[in-house]
Amino acid sequence: MVFKKDTVVGTMIFTITLCLLCSFMITGTAGVLKERKLAKKRDELQRYVLMAADVNLGQGNEFREIFAKSVKPLLINLDTGKVDSDANVLDFDERMAAINPETSSAPKKDIAKIKTRANDARVFKVFDDSGKLSSVVVPFYGKGLWSMIYGYVAVEPDFNTIKGMVVYEHGETPGIGDFVTDPHWLSLWKGKQLFDEKGKFVMRLVKGGAKEGDVHGVDAVSGATMTGRGVQRAMEFWFGVEGFQTFFNQLKASAEQGELGGAK
Amino acid sequence: MSNSLSMRDMLAGPVFANNPVAMQVLGVCSALAVSNSMQTAVVMTLAVTFVLVFSNLIISAIRNFIPNSVRIIAQMTVIASLVIIVDMVLQDVAYELSKQLSVFVGLIITNCIIMGRAEAFAMKYPPHLAVVDAVGNAAGYGLVLISVAFVRELLGTGNLFGHSVLTTVENGGWYLPNEMFKLPPSAFFLIGLLIWSINVIQRKRG
Repeated sequence: MVFKKDTVVGTMIFTITLCLLCSFMITGTAGVLKERKLAKKRDELQRYVLMAADVNLGQGNEFREIFAKSVKPLLINLDTGKVDSDANVLDFDERMAAINPETSSAPKKDIAKIKTRANDARVFKVFDDSGKLSSVVVPFYGKGLWSMIYGYVAVEPDFNTIKGMVVYEHGETPGIGDFVTDPHWLSLWKGKQLFDEKGKFVMRLVKGGAKEGDVHGVDAVSGATMTGRGVQRAMEFWFGVEGFQTFFNQLKASAEQGELGGAK
Repeated sequence: MSNSLSMRDMLAGPVFANNPVAMQVLGVCSALAVSNSMQTAVVMTLAVTFVLVFSNLIISAIRNFIPNSVRIIAQMTVIASLVIIVDMVLQDVAYELSKQLSVFVGLIITNCIIMGRAEAFAMKYPPHLAVVDAVGNAAGYGLVLISVAFVRELLGTGNLFGHSVLTTVENGGWYLPNEMFKLPPSAFFLIGLLIWSINVIQRKRG
């Protein structure tokens, strides 16, 4: 049979063949790069967690050893606080888990405007050189003005005082809302306390600048009210009952019983 | 172009006398956007070269099978696939850089130079000539991009490839960077000057 390109059948055959060939080309490349991409994601995660916990990253690839030595990653159920000990924590895809209806649910009070929240979440216990728990790093995200703001925040073992913070992804207005990644602004959070004595969430952004000695306030940025509010509400959500509170309370309780004295 | 295509004309033509950016004013969007530093300009040139060479090669190789009614969409399919591959590879080897280039790698799909060469050249000539034509045009695009980026990065930040060349006042030197060169409009002026100078030289040659 001679291939007649300008007939209907010829056109069909051509388009189908071309589309198949092109998709093979793309899937082939994606397949080759998949492993490397996963490894890169793992590296990135380790780096952000250490940065949030205010741990020195060392030089080059030293952060991998430091992470392995001082960080214990866990996958927990947010509602029960239970640890899933079999999970491959580093490769857990939290974005996927948050949109998959089988592994997520809509929060009752969606203050961070995240729409659906994954049932499971990653938690990173960070230990100091003597094997004492120095901080716990958790991921957080919430809607700013235009986009989701993603980051990691480290709290001290009192689960109230912030040890450090990293924001690694956002789509806020360049030059206005992008202060969320500014190291200076992030450093303002260090040492601030999220809750008051009664356990009420009181951390907030203060317009005109937080007063000196204000342990519950961080400077707001003019022109970026919504972006700042997004970060504040994300904090409130993720440290609340629908966030990591259940898990934190269990950790606190077991620490009081003295089980958390040594490492692990 | 006449029927007697010499390799030399095909390579040198698009670089200067028939430069796709300066003379045909194609692909200007990306030329404005990514020419603020040498690094992004070089990477963008490499990406466009890859896409242009392979799209011309593939389209020219299958040109006798492409039905006339779907030829544009067939070209787009090939180009889009190649761009996706470039994007994936770039994210793998230079993740930070791919973030800087952001949407502009994806927008290579709509770069008129590539569509233009596929439709105007690859559809009519055999593969080996199409590749030569692609290399010539990619070189023309790259030349404009890199020379604009050279001026913009040097005057805008005092650096070249991120290394300090003119010590800025901020670092205790003498050079006060001209912020305008960091912004896209400056590329308009520079490309305008380039078009003007090429025209003047062309006219002198007669």
